[in-house]
Amino acid sequence: MALLIKSVFSFLKQPIFSSSLRVFSITKQLNLKEFQESRNGNKLIIEAVSVPSTRTDLLVRADKIQDLTPAVIDAEKPVCYLCKLGLDIKHTDVLILSQFVRSDGCMLPRRITGLCSRQQKKVGTMVSMAQKAGLMINLTPSRCKKDPKQRYGYKKFNTYFDEATIFMKKIPDQRDKFKR
Amino acid sequence: MSAAKRVQQWATFARTWHIFDCKWQDPYQSANIIKKYLMGLHKPIYHPMNDCGDVVVCINSREIALRGDDWRKRAYFHHTGYPGGASWTLAWELHNKDPTMIIKKAVYRAMKGNLQRRHTMERLFIYPGEEIPEDIKQNVSNQIRQLRLVPQRLDHIPEEEVQQYPKVMEYPPDYVLK
Ligand SMILES: [Zn+2]
Repeated sequence: MALLIKSVFSFLKQPIFSSSLRVFSITKQLNLKEFQESRNGNKLIIEAVSVPSTRTDLLVRADKIQDLTPAVIDAEKPVCYLCKLGLDIKHTDVLILSQFVRSDGCMLPRRITGLCSRQQKKVGTMVSMAQKAGLMINLTPSRCKKDPKQRYGYKKFNTYFDEATIFMKKIPDQRDKFKR
Repeated sequence: MSAAKRVQQWATFARTWHIFDCKWQDPYQSANIIKKYLMGLHKPIYHPMNDCGDVVVCINSREIALRGDDWRKRAYFHHTGYPGGASWTLAWELHNKDPTMIIKKAVYRAMKGNLQRRHTMERLFIYPGEEIPEDIKQNVSNQIRQLRLVPQRLDHIPEEEVQQYPKVMEYPPDYVLK
């Protein structure tokens, strides 16, 4: 009896799930998607809407710049778009760093940024430096008070960072120079 | 002495009042700059035995910036002289108590420890905010250049400028915006 019920259920399940899966698997959306919530009386409608990217017109790529002195590039390794540009980004360049984060200020993963591992680490560290310095306070989780002066303890005071420490194995201690 | 030479004489030996904005400045790096003006090291007539130091007014000392994790790692030592009278105060705790103390101690330590140091420190005025007394403000005639650029916060940049700024990263085609 149990076997019969099981087989009936599996028979019923199969067409339902296969048809619902097919919608997502066959076509690939070529546009960015955005979740939009709208309320119609008692009904809450959440839909994924395809939106065009606002960044396409403003995009800067090394191939399109005419008189760009090529950055020193290792020919064996494949290089990413940020290495080709050869920019010297600091942690205070929030207009560039804010392109690599979500709306809650979290760094995007490498499969989305498309950077090489060195640049991903560098940009990721500089994003956290900018967040600690309170320079991207509007890109923070919603529970944040949006004011660096209202942070707790030592965090409320201004802090700056040295980008040379990003790839250091050990950050040298200021007091070490007094040791013999 | 001719009239022109007399003015030159006044200008050479007069005390100049400098102003220094400590906003987002490292106190230990700017102490080396302030020291030069306080002692008169920037003048060609400098000699340790002649009193040619200038006056420096530091404003916005509450807004100084320390590097990395210095706020919670740097400790200031004090000893009352009694047994068990030693105390270590972290930099952020000291800054909570007195926002002028860190820059004062930094300038004090940047100078060589001699009898003149205490008198040179008398010519340093530090104010936690932007407001300074009117009689001091009227004397100021020069500004010391800041060492570090004051960083701009993203929410203080106009929204339109942020959107029109050239973009480096493009989202992958099937990315869901968050
Ligand atoms: Zn790269």
